[in-house]
Amino acid sequence: MTPMDRRRFLKVTAITGTSAALARCGNPEHQIIRFVPEEELTPGIAVWKPSVCPLCNAGCGVLARVMDGDAEVFRNGEAGVTRMGLPRKLEGDPAHGVSQGRLCVRGQAALQVTYHPDRLASPRRRVGERGSGAFEDITWDAALTELIGRLDTLVEAGNAGQIAFIGRPRRGRRAELVAEFLRRIGAPAPVAFEFFDDAVIRRANELSFGRYQLPTIDLARTHYLIGFGADFLGTWNSPVAHGAAYGRMRQGQPGTVTKFVQVEPRMSQTGASANEWVAVPPGTEGVVALGLAHVIMRDGLRPASAAGRAGAMVEGFAQGLAAFAPADVERYTGITPARIERLAREFAANGPAVAVIGGPALAHTNGLAQALAVNALNALVGSVDVPGGVLFTPTEVAPVGPPRSLREVVGGAAAPQLLLLDEANPVYASPPGWHVADLLQRVPFIVSFGAFVDETSVLADLLLPDHSFLESWTESSPESGSADAANATAPPAMHPLYDTRSMPDVLLDVARRLQRPLDPPLPWQTFDEMVQAPTTVPAMPAAPSRAPDTPRAWADARFDGEAGTYPFHFLPYASQALLDGSLAHLPWLQELPDPLTTAMWSAWVEINPGTAERLGIAEGDMVEITSAHGSVRAPAVISPGIGPTAVAMPAGQGHDTFTRYASGRGANPVHVLAPLDEPETGALAWSATRVRIARVGAADGSLILFAGATRERPDHHGRG
Amino acid sequence: MAYRWGMVVDLDRCTGCEACVTACHAENNLPTVGADEAARGRAMHWIRVERYWEGEFPDVRVKFRPVLCQQCGNAPCEAVCPTYASHQNEDGLNAQVYNRCIGTRYCGNACMYNVRFFNFFHPQWEKPLQLQLNPDVSLRESGVMEKCTFCVQRIKAAKSAAKAEDRAIADGSLQPACAQACPAGALVFGDLNDPESRVARLSASPRGSKLLEDLGAEPKITYLHRQGWHESNA
Ligand code: SF4
Ligand code: SF4
Ligand code: SF4
Repeated sequence: MTPMDRRRFLKVTAITGTSAALARCGNPEHQIIRFVPEEELTPGIAVWKPSVCPLCNAGCGVLARVMDGDAEVFRNGEAGVTRMGLPRKLEGDPAHGVSQGRLCVRGQAALQVTYHPDRLASPRRRVGERGSGAFEDITWDAALTELIGRLDTLVEAGNAGQIAFIGRPRRGRRAELVAEFLRRIGAPAPVAFEFFDDAVIRRANELSFGRYQLPTIDLARTHYLIGFGADFLGTWNSPVAHGAAYGRMRQGQPGTVTKFVQVEPRMSQTGASANEWVAVPPGTEGVVALGLAHVIMRDGLRPASAAGRAGAMVEGFAQGLAAFAPADVERYTGITPARIERLAREFAANGPAVAVIGGPALAHTNGLAQALAVNALNALVGSVDVPGGVLFTPTEVAPVGPPRSLREVVGGAAAPQLLLLDEANPVYASPPGWHVADLLQRVPFIVSFGAFVDETSVLADLLLPDHSFLESWTESSPESGSADAANATAPPAMHPLYDTRSMPDVLLDVARRLQRPLDPPLPWQTFDEMVQAPTTVPAMPAAPSRAPDTPRAWADARFDGEAGTYPFHFLPYASQALLDGSLAHLPWLQELPDPLTTAMWSAWVEINPGTAERLGIAEGDMVEITSAHGSVRAPAVISPGIGPTAVAMPAGQGHDTFTRYASGRGANPVHVLAPLDEPETGALAWSATRVRIARVGAADGSLILFAGATRERPDHHGRG
Repeated sequence: MAYRWGMVVDLDRCTGCEACVTACHAENNLPTVGADEAARGRAMHWIRVERYWEGEFPDVRVKFRPVLCQQCGNAPCEAVCPTYASHQNEDGLNAQVYNRCIGTRYCGNACMYNVRFFNFFHPQWEKPLQLQLNPDVSLRESGVMEKCTFCVQRIKAAKSAAKAEDRAIADGSLQPACAQACPAGALVFGDLNDPESRVARLSASPRGSKLLEDLGAEPKITYLHRQGWHESNA
């Protein structure tokens, strides 16, 4: 078929909405196999099936609108067409305590995960050089025989300790199964890897409140809110739940107008909704919190003792934080003492008042100290576990727990002998100084369960694609987002399209077929059975669990790179559309105009107008960003939401290998990051790199804005 | 009594999150045009979120405003259409009859809200993305103008269900996809002819105004401006 024919062919398909024409190239239409439908459907009638959005850890309950249609499928090793129930739209499940009938922009696009043209349809085995992307189809039998053989050999030789598992920080039964499998085979605990990981806030909450858990901010009932860098309405924590609560905060409290103050170095999408926006240098957000606490205690508005254990975690708190008087705060942040005094008075006078910190503010070497400062401020004004304050969602499932970090694997002397990968993409999302790709090259055998080939799974020897979430049992036991437990379990919303297998069932199958049985054996035969059986993991205790720790001293944030050579702070941030880049393969999200820049299909660098003028950079010009660790190029967006000494860049683009929609598009800010971390948790300090910038060329058309496209240009440089 | 569908956009609730934008794509079979066509200004978003910067760093603020077809009562896009493809339906909606549209694009020029989008080419879904299509919404071919319909397929379904049971559509039971998705509850849809409906009551809010109201197109979307905080509110 010529390319021309093929295009025309797709056109017909799209317009008629039928798959009758979807024969493999060269096959006359009458040779298509039509399978007997596996379910009874009433044509044109929609049914709603529950599921859980898999795209982030918020765990929103969804309803899929399922209608009949013809789909190209694989059944018993043959391709053909069948009439089946197909999810056509996802909505929030009104009965779910986190989504409350709503979904975020990413959840709306989750449908495209299932229908993605580059989804892996069957198991594959590497044939070319590692990383070349050359794979061949293989049967499940052959694939599992190979995997089981390798596991048997390792177990037999007493090397089960060299089996590694890298997944995303998921919760729930799937995570429980993985942990139990590894424990019983004698392997170390799974590694949870995500670029925007929340280890710092969880650890801070454990120290301050005895809860190793993300907080829920009871926005709907708060009267005064201070955010420290947390993008809780966009990309952080549980954005649907917090978005819904935010709407009620604004217009659901008759007679009350809540003030929202956001403190951050670069205006986030969340900060854009603040009544008062306070710019501070990166890594000093916590100083503002300590300064507010200082004034509140100094003026006798609250005694230091009111902060209890959370106060006791902050060195000098009991003495009124003498080192954080308004003049000291000004030295750190440039905020005038009068403003600090005013904000402190407002915060203390307008209860219930709550503070929240997250995201970029914690991605510093002093991230833990910053979080502890905000926790103490909340405790000081009595805003923990009260309406309008910080809440902790009761969970039946233990939290992810301090996970094994990727650094332990990367930093270990020997590479693992066998690596199981479950959707994590550390090759794309780790700083160059971690040398993750080098490490993986030294692992003799890598198996990936992901549904797509990305920068990490392209290194795998076996691809064992999982079903999509709509084809699987799904469950959620949200860690945050609700005052009450909001657990959900749902059976598959559709039959699988392809020759894929549910990863938990593959693990259970492998476990059964090992030469030396697991000790003790896993108590479940199938994952369906497991999700319907009670968990084996003890519930998170409702009361603070650990004894108070020693107080932590404030530490100034450290930055990589000499200020002389690298004069700008480099501030990567989570993209509203693509998040950490794991969603860059979804065309709906690629074509979503970014909320603050209207950019689509693009990466960009945000530069302050004065800085741009000084450096001769115009909007769209290509700019090179260089740190001591690498450089990237991206077009400039002139933005008034960032100060003259910083530049910002969204995460998400710059994929080498991640489907036709994401590969070879834009640049990846992670490539310039220094491997600094927050020492207590080992979390990457991704806001801690300094860079220099230079114009390297005129606009090359790679910055695609929607704002210019409909003829209106509401604003260009913020002076419109 | 006839329905008169309208909407309130509460800018005090809107966070600029754009859940509404993708929800609309998914519901209404909007094509993704790809980077090259998007660069030529051909991306289609029946609802978009405009953002306005105010001030200079560090005293800077942003305003978001979701903009979709305003369902004008006196719609300039209708008057200029030679084939009556753009017309007013019985519920006061500005409707587009795709197979009457001959692609003059006069309507797109006449609409001062810039919410009409032209199909410059046949839409394509790389298979199996066509499986995401909503069977209740027709696909538009090249040469045809399209825009927000207030999810007319949902309105039709709700009307026929209500008619079969001989009742009126209950307030709040019918929502376009954008309003259903919106986490913050910023989009309120309903019948302006029902004085008790949420949309009718909110439309009368002192915070309300309409876009380019003085041009006389009689838009049926009311924007509620943000509520300021003053020490005295506390
Ligand atoms: S917040 Fe959005 S991406 Fe995360 S689970 Fe909910 S709908 Fe999905
Ligand atoms: S907003 Fe534009 S497209 Fe919609 S009715 Fe008014 S003039 Fe027509
Ligand atoms: S979904 Fe709602 S809050 Fe988000 S941009 Fe649209 S109208 Fe605003």
